[in-house]
Amino acid sequence: MKILVINCGSSSVKYQLIDTDTETALAKGMVSRIGMSASVLTHKPHDRPEVKVSGEILDHIVAIEYVVAMLLSENHGVIADRSEIEAIGHRVVHGGEKFTESVLITPELMLELRNLIDLAPLHNPHNIRGINACQKTLPGLPMVAVFDTAFHHQMPPKAYIYGLPYVMYKRYGIRRYGFHGTSHQYVAEQASQMLGKPLEELKLITCHLGNGASVAAVDGGVSVDTSMGFTPLEGLLMGTRTGDLDPAIILHIMAREELTLHEANTLLNKHSGLAGISGVSSDMREIIESAHSNHSNARLAIDAYCYRLRKYIAAYAAAMGGLDALVYTAGIGENSPDVRECSCENLEFMGIRLDKAKNNQAVGQKADISADDATVRTLVIPTNEELVIARDTKRIVEAAK
Amino acid sequence: MARTSIVIVGAGIMGQGLAEAVANSGTEVTLIDKTTKLAEQGVKGISESIDREIERWGLTKSDKKAILSRIFPSSDLSETEDAEIVIEAIPEDLKLKRALFERLDKICKKDAVMITNTGTLSISEIGATTERPQKIIGMHFLNPVTKIPLVEIVKGLKTDDATFQRAVEFAELLNKKWITVHEYPGYVTTRIIVPLLNEAMHVLMEGVATAEDIDQAMKLGFGFNVGPLTLADMMGLDVVMSWMENLLEELSEHKYNPCPLLRKLVRAGHLGVKTGSGFFEYDEEGNKLEGSGLATGMAKSGA
Repeated sequence: MKILVINCGSSSVKYQLIDTDTETALAKGMVSRIGMSASVLTHKPHDRPEVKVSGEILDHIVAIEYVVAMLLSENHGVIADRSEIEAIGHRVVHGGEKFTESVLITPELMLELRNLIDLAPLHNPHNIRGINACQKTLPGLPMVAVFDTAFHHQMPPKAYIYGLPYVMYKRYGIRRYGFHGTSHQYVAEQASQMLGKPLEELKLITCHLGNGASVAAVDGGVSVDTSMGFTPLEGLLMGTRTGDLDPAIILHIMAREELTLHEANTLLNKHSGLAGISGVSSDMREIIESAHSNHSNARLAIDAYCYRLRKYIAAYAAAMGGLDALVYTAGIGENSPDVRECSCENLEFMGIRLDKAKNNQAVGQKADISADDATVRTLVIPTNEELVIARDTKRIVEAAK
Repeated sequence: MARTSIVIVGAGIMGQGLAEAVANSGTEVTLIDKTTKLAEQGVKGISESIDREIERWGLTKSDKKAILSRIFPSSDLSETEDAEIVIEAIPEDLKLKRALFERLDKICKKDAVMITNTGTLSISEIGATTERPQKIIGMHFLNPVTKIPLVEIVKGLKTDDATFQRAVEFAELLNKKWITVHEYPGYVTTRIIVPLLNEAMHVLMEGVATAEDIDQAMKLGFGFNVGPLTLADMMGLDVVMSWMENLLEELSEHKYNPCPLLRKLVRAGHLGVKTGSGFFEYDEEGNKLEGSGLATGMAKSGA
């Protein structure tokens, strides 16, 4: 079955056309800088070189139209007719407490997704936009929503409850939900294969370090704790997000600068994190470059980033009472030996030790980067959320038939 | 999501606010004024307003780029020809508005919804200049449009339900809460706020309390975000006076008679924030100067 997997961000659409019979991507690509003057569509068919097209792509509908046209294109396409696409799988960030697994998209589901916007105002609207855009561009195809929160749904209450009046949980569903679930789940399964041990017997810590970043404690295949919380704002320092913060700070700033709710929200989500501290960029590569040329706040941003990550790793080992393997994934996790090395510093006491050469070599590929005598394995595993989404989509669409 | 063809006529403060709000919702918008220069000044105003919002952390530089890329300035009224929604945002003057709608009536397609943005004027009277009064509706946005979450949707005598529904959809596109108003002078917001502002001016003129204390009293005593005299300065004292005169003319009630102090300030060209001086003094960026409020109708405080 050929499945189009769509992951809509605020200004990007990532896509893959996956053949679930062979579990390979026939083509993958991304439309970036949507809404800006120079949008770019990068498209890579599995058997031909990558192509880049730039143009003015002002919204998600136009972006999906570009993607479909590219999949059908004579020179760069991978299908002859749009009817070859049999289903569409969508990444949806927030499933609330209601959605503990992937589901078929129906008009009723769309209503429920809209109700969840309050929980993930920064993400669910874009996901919904993506679903609407596909309904418009590829009408009639079955579509499945795969939730970022679903993998974490077995987290115990002691891990998800906040120190607020309990009635806030009952009234507004305020609890830890966790995100990046599909990625944490995928790399945990891959780690079990690499280690040649069943997932049920493993204690893993998975670090998904992309533009957004989170850590999960995966005990016996179940996510028992994770650093993102009620929204994807909590936990690690991220590209433009604060991560953990004394909640009184925001009240203080709102009073001092007379900020509205909207302004405060944008401050926390878009002006903070690596970009906010460094003043350079939200992109770790650029920050590392600046740090090498002695930009002191760039150095500070990296140190703060790695220090907090290190604390989470140790905390989650404590939460599980042990650790078999530490896994790095996503943009920074897969590609930055610097961040891996820095975040593992001082963790020798609990058995984590990297092989410097192996660490430096592991860029964007599966690798065991631990020193031979390390008692905890440290792995780099490229994530593949799209494959998980395609598998779920196939299963649910076939069951619905 | 259908891309609506939205055109705003009038690139002053209200037109700018509306264009920014529409563009920020992800929709393209044309902003028309009498000359290309005026329309471009409007876009410049929007750009500055976004810069202020970036400083207040509310938007990012990439938001700015995206918003501005969706706004097209123009001086050509015929660009309203294919528009689905035309919004008038020119000065609050019945003659000017009537003349504009008479022209738009000849250009716009038959099923276009025509919105007039007015705080006091009669929708029915504006609609009567056209051959489609059922398509004319009032939407009273409050300044600053991007910040105030309310819009009054004003039905004229002949406005039809389909037009009302389109106005509701437009309000929702802009993420505004709306209330329905049946046309009557001053609607709800203007009608209620104007006597309050006027009374605050009388209290000041009669020497009961200083401008600062009057504002303080209403802010702390009744939970107003902004005190009445500061609010009048923000609205523009000439604008406040023209609302009162419109209400006075329509309803002939003494309570709408502008306070003599207001008349005096307007005659002196002290129109509030926009001229740097009103009941308070302001710096070039429009920030109120500490302790600058009038002590009575006659003197500055501390003088």
